[in-house]
Amino acid sequence: MLFNSLAFVAFYIIVTALYFLLPHRYRWLLLLTASCYFYMAFVPVYILILGGTIVIDYIAGIWIEKSKGKRRKNFLILSLIANIGVLCVFKYYNFINDNISLLFNNFHYQNPIPYLDIILPIGLSFHTFQAMSYTIEVYRGNTKAERHFGIYSLYVMFYPQLVAGPIERPQNILPQFHTEHRFDYDKMVSGLKLMLWGFFKKLVVADRLSIYVDSVFGHPSSHNGTTVALASLFFAIQIYCDFSGYTDIAIGCARTMGITLMKNFNRPYFSKSIKEFWSRWHISLSTWFRDYLYIPLGGNRVAIPRMYLNLLIVFTVSGIWHGASYNFVIWGFLHGVFLITASIFDRLKQKWGITYELPAFVNILITLLLVSVTWIFFRANTFGDAITMLSSLKTFGQTPFTGGINNMAHCLFAISILFLIEFKMEYFPGTLNLFNHPKMWVRYTSMATLVFIILLFGVFSGGQFIYFQF
Amino acid sequence: MEMNGFLLFAKRLTIFMLLVVVVDHIGGYALKKLYFSQEKGQFSQITYSLDSTKHEVLIFGSSRAIRHYSPAILAEKLNQSVYNVGMDGQMIPYYAALQEVILNRYTPEMIILDVTPWELNAGKAKYHKLSALLPYVDEHPELLKYISYTNDLELVKLYSHIYPFNSSLFIGLYNFILKNKLPDYDNGYLPLTRVMGEKGFKSQKAKSVYEAAAEEKRKDIYDKKAIALLHQFLKKADEKNIKTWVVISPVIFSNSFNSTKLQKLKDIVSAYPKVTLYDYSQDTGFTDNFKLYADIFHLNKTGAELFTSRLANEIVK
Repeated sequence: MLFNSLAFVAFYIIVTALYFLLPHRYRWLLLLTASCYFYMAFVPVYILILGGTIVIDYIAGIWIEKSKGKRRKNFLILSLIANIGVLCVFKYYNFINDNISLLFNNFHYQNPIPYLDIILPIGLSFHTFQAMSYTIEVYRGNTKAERHFGIYSLYVMFYPQLVAGPIERPQNILPQFHTEHRFDYDKMVSGLKLMLWGFFKKLVVADRLSIYVDSVFGHPSSHNGTTVALASLFFAIQIYCDFSGYTDIAIGCARTMGITLMKNFNRPYFSKSIKEFWSRWHISLSTWFRDYLYIPLGGNRVAIPRMYLNLLIVFTVSGIWHGASYNFVIWGFLHGVFLITASIFDRLKQKWGITYELPAFVNILITLLLVSVTWIFFRANTFGDAITMLSSLKTFGQTPFTGGINNMAHCLFAISILFLIEFKMEYFPGTLNLFNHPKMWVRYTSMATLVFIILLFGVFSGGQFIYFQF
Repeated sequence: MEMNGFLLFAKRLTIFMLLVVVVDHIGGYALKKLYFSQEKGQFSQITYSLDSTKHEVLIFGSSRAIRHYSPAILAEKLNQSVYNVGMDGQMIPYYAALQEVILNRYTPEMIILDVTPWELNAGKAKYHKLSALLPYVDEHPELLKYISYTNDLELVKLYSHIYPFNSSLFIGLYNFILKNKLPDYDNGYLPLTRVMGEKGFKSQKAKSVYEAAAEEKRKDIYDKKAIALLHQFLKKADEKNIKTWVVISPVIFSNSFNSTKLQKLKDIVSAYPKVTLYDYSQDTGFTDNFKLYADIFHLNKTGAELFTSRLANEIVK
């Protein structure tokens, strides 16, 4: 079930109303049933895979807690193998097989391993990482193993964040399922406002830009450099609004039920460096990789070359996490390279005593430019398409393809509203808070205007969220 | 305390919802006024097609219909009044809906339907584009069944008065403000004047070889609903004894269409003995003759008028 559908709106109203009507002791059951229904609206049979890993991780968590020494570690490894195994089969099997075929072809042999004709379970990487986070935290002693199977299942399956995060930690969310949440006016209202803003980002900005982006990335050889640059910039904004729009709806939806999910985005395109970008973009995933991969590899407490290698490993794995294709690998690798390059520059500046800093807006533009270039690999259908698009940038300056004046006008209108609001939130957070204005008529008029904008300018063709595929 | 919070929420939510309803009504009214006051542009073209056509010959189709068929040439050769009700980006579901509304009002003597085998491909896009008909459902409730093909809950959205005019404001303002500068549709005909370059043609030609090969290998997945609607279109014309010509107008590459799908289209049409099919997709007078095209999908004005003359001659025969 997609958040940007009327079916979801009806589902949300029913579930939230029942949630507050039911006594606390039955709420986990309601939320779990609702989450199963929500997930089964995609491909019903895949709930069995989710169920399988839930059982394994639930038992593993208890056994890890009860065991000591090597046995404890073995149970953790068992849980990790189960989770990563599911990921490998459903997400990476055919990719690995492609590479084997390529290798065999080089020696003029036919690859005997068959391909799997399967659809990737929706949001697999998200709930698998959340499940792994649980067993690792139990192993580290940071959280107790959850004894209530229903609550543990809900930890993995809580519908607002089931298919595209934020990837939660057990310490944050499990205690909240045990706590009784009474109806809270402020949480309900702020949650609904956040959901409304999320719908704006998805329907008015992301899905509008996708019309232009899809037409350019779908025919990369037909467009000049200006068009490619514009499409890349549009995709940067599209993916931000698509993913952060989803996250706003998820966080808002949970908040109305009194449950607080972690922040996942913090206006990333106002970052002044790639390092800052990664502290503002998909925060739940970057902190996951920091805590469970970068630090165990040695993090910053190793020799500088090793630290750089760690960075490259983490960002390349992050690329693979997104999808089974070399484009994602390159995307992650490039981010690693940018971070290392920035770190080398900083060290040289320190060494040579250079104190000059570029103006903030120049740094913001450079960061946006670098990030947009990497998005070409992320979005292009094939590696060849990405190269075609990058090479076409040499014709930058020619008249761009507009994709129709009407759609372009809608794109620019949507970006302008987004920019004005995010700029205000970034640099003037305390002023002109229309949604939270002390005067009721200002609050209501601004929210009604947003509804008007969504109805009039939104794209209602039910576009899938980009991150669902991961 | 909890109850007080809930009651306060319920009260304020009600006030807000009432405000939204008022904004929706006022906004919807203003948008409707703007929409139907347009005298030029594609919206006025739809309005005219649905409500005012009374021509003896109607041409249905997508952008290929609007760009390829000159009503003036056809009118002169057939000695009948001709109007082109084609619409950019639309496919079979739109023609079927448009035909039903028009036939409820009057019966033309002849219909020319421009169609391609691409339209038989499975895909939801052709249904989403039916949103172009949303402003007309109040006056033409028969359109509702077509609108419902978009998705199950599409009709629920029509409780909003703004939603039917979704994405129409900018183009409406543009058409309204710049009405004196907009090109005139010549009885629905809006030819493209640009000429395709040789370089662009050659690069597209090279690409088309791979695309055609890939298309031939692809499984034949048809849009059953679109096929049913095409049958409905032909059947309605047949029932009203309207002379019907189904035309596959020229394409720049002879391999543009998947051979199986092309045959499937021909098979559908052949079920109606009174319907005549003309296939220009392999006509060597047009294939590879890039100077007759504006882009890979459309003939330019020269090509369109050459094609219309030839078609008119065929029909007169």
